[in-house]
Amino acid sequence: MRPAFPVRLGIAEETLIAQLKAAGADQIAERVTVAGLPTRRVEAYHYTDLKTLLRTIPPLAQPANEATGTALRVAGAYTLSIVNGVVQNAATAPEGVIVGKTHGGVLTHRDDTLVGISNGLTKEALSLDLKGAIGQVIQIDHRIEGEAAHVADATKIFVADDSSVVILETFSGSDAAHVGNHASYIALGKNAVVTHVTVDLGSRSTSHFATNEYHLGDGAQLRTLVVHAGSGLARTHLFPRMEGAGAHADVTGLNLVAEGQHSDITMETTHAVPHTSSQPLFKSITRGRSKAVVQGKLIVARDAQKTDAKFMHQGLMLSDDAEILSKPELEIYADDVVCGHGSTCGKLDDDSLFYLLSRGIPKAEAETMLVRGFIAELIDPIEDEALNEALQGIVDGWLLGDH
Amino acid sequence: MTDTAAKTPVLEIRNLHARIEEREILKGVNLVIPQGEVHAIMGRNGSGKSTLSYVLAGKEDYEITEGEILLNGESILEMEPAERAAAGIFLAFQYPIEIPGVATMTFLKAAINAQRKARGEGELSTPDFMRAVKEAGAQLNVDSAMLKRPLNVGFSGGEKKRAEIMQMALLKPSLAVLDETDSGLDIDALQVVSKGVNALRDGKRSMLVITHYQRLLNHIVPDVVHVFSDGRIVESGDKDLALQLEAKGYADYDGQAA
Repeated sequence: MRPAFPVRLGIAEETLIAQLKAAGADQIAERVTVAGLPTRRVEAYHYTDLKTLLRTIPPLAQPANEATGTALRVAGAYTLSIVNGVVQNAATAPEGVIVGKTHGGVLTHRDDTLVGISNGLTKEALSLDLKGAIGQVIQIDHRIEGEAAHVADATKIFVADDSSVVILETFSGSDAAHVGNHASYIALGKNAVVTHVTVDLGSRSTSHFATNEYHLGDGAQLRTLVVHAGSGLARTHLFPRMEGAGAHADVTGLNLVAEGQHSDITMETTHAVPHTSSQPLFKSITRGRSKAVVQGKLIVARDAQKTDAKFMHQGLMLSDDAEILSKPELEIYADDVVCGHGSTCGKLDDDSLFYLLSRGIPKAEAETMLVRGFIAELIDPIEDEALNEALQGIVDGWLLGDH
Repeated sequence: MTDTAAKTPVLEIRNLHARIEEREILKGVNLVIPQGEVHAIMGRNGSGKSTLSYVLAGKEDYEITEGEILLNGESILEMEPAERAAAGIFLAFQYPIEIPGVATMTFLKAAINAQRKARGEGELSTPDFMRAVKEAGAQLNVDSAMLKRPLNVGFSGGEKKRAEIMQMALLKPSLAVLDETDSGLDIDALQVVSKGVNALRDGKRSMLVITHYQRLLNHIVPDVVHVFSDGRIVESGDKDLALQLEAKGYADYDGQAA
């Protein structure tokens, strides 16, 4: 619902509107002009009020002169880079991988301001056509370099029938007040098996926004893992859509937030046809005065009988000053489904901690073990050993206060 | 020092008072366990037996209001639980904790190496560690399938207790405190666990066996039996005391301690 009266626009919105108009994105420019950035009144942004959180928008990015190099190295990965929105030339692709570029945005139009901005500002997208069993992890390294910049970049990935691949997208860059608006569109053909891991390792001054859209064909199996471990403000919006019978998605994510950080994973999974399933599992770990948000919406279409979907969010608070916000939503139009949701929140378990201490394990090490144990469900299913280790390294680094 | 070392008891508890919140649970415990001896503490539920085991291991919930605990002549009251473990105390839990996501082997290695490090010893090499686990596991019917699971997760009551004693075998404490190790065990499991415990009686290691029933003491025969009632030891004797208790119950001791 747009307000009947014009909203008062802030500097961030004025800048944004000018950028959108310059890019010829009149429709979204008009939307921002009328409604402003999403506030808490917009349900999907209820705990992440962009009007309050985004005070300024930096200038649109220029091509970068220097590059810092990937923030997360995974042994054996085939790496592609998008720096300041520009798709970089890549080394020879492994068999079954066709790398290309497409013009414009990649996301399906929907009633969402960030999606509109992404489509309006993205000039070129990295496109991947994947076929067969791809053994190498494909890493897409997004970076924002130099002075504070507003970047919209995107990837569009098609995974052919009966193919399998592990895709890692990493987000990092220079220590500046960047605003990144990243889009990933992944279509899974029949019986395709895809693991898609996205890791935000931006600086504390950076605001990171990502929208991941998935389309699953018959029998397709998707595992997603979103990790927020860097930017001061991070939000990933997931839109998995189960479009073929037998499709299954393990939609998972992890907010790691420390002093002053705000991380939000918002999911809207649509079960569009009968006989599909999804298992959304999210975890948040908070330290200092920080905020972690997980919203999970399951939509079951009218004919989508036999849908099996369970949403779960578990929070672990390592400080008394943090906030963990959890909002499950079910929107079910079919009558023969199994859907559920759950949320838990707590500290490290005292009895578990004492058990480890009583065996001589020092407190800091015992706490680390318990935190690792808490998120093992998310990291363990990542079978690629090098990627698994790299992700574990991020968690360990966060625990040591590196990020 | 060397002359007196042999005579220093492994554990000496002097007039120990402890409370949780406002409630006093230990009301003046006195206990001396010389090197190599196995002492049993028997008492009815709620008498404070388990509290004593937690207080020895250093659980934070309890406040020591009076008294002293000496391990090999050194006070441990100011020591953290992990330091106490490295100093030689091992508590076999009545209800071992399930910790999802923590692999049993990772845990065992962390515990062994943390204690070695605290004592200024080098880390155990992986082959040595694997060998030690295999040996200890074989004695207690802890197979590799159990070791591959997360710590205690999905273990039956008997498996948990066997795993506890296996940890004890690996960590080689100077004082083992066994808190109701027999609870939840059928007779076969009781025999396996007792055999494991008895294998660790080497004339130097001391043990404090806390139990509600006498039957455990048929398998782990104590040198001394203490009767615990209302937060203190009210009678001590040899192993026959356990048999008398089994026959007559704890009623004789009611009110005696008040």
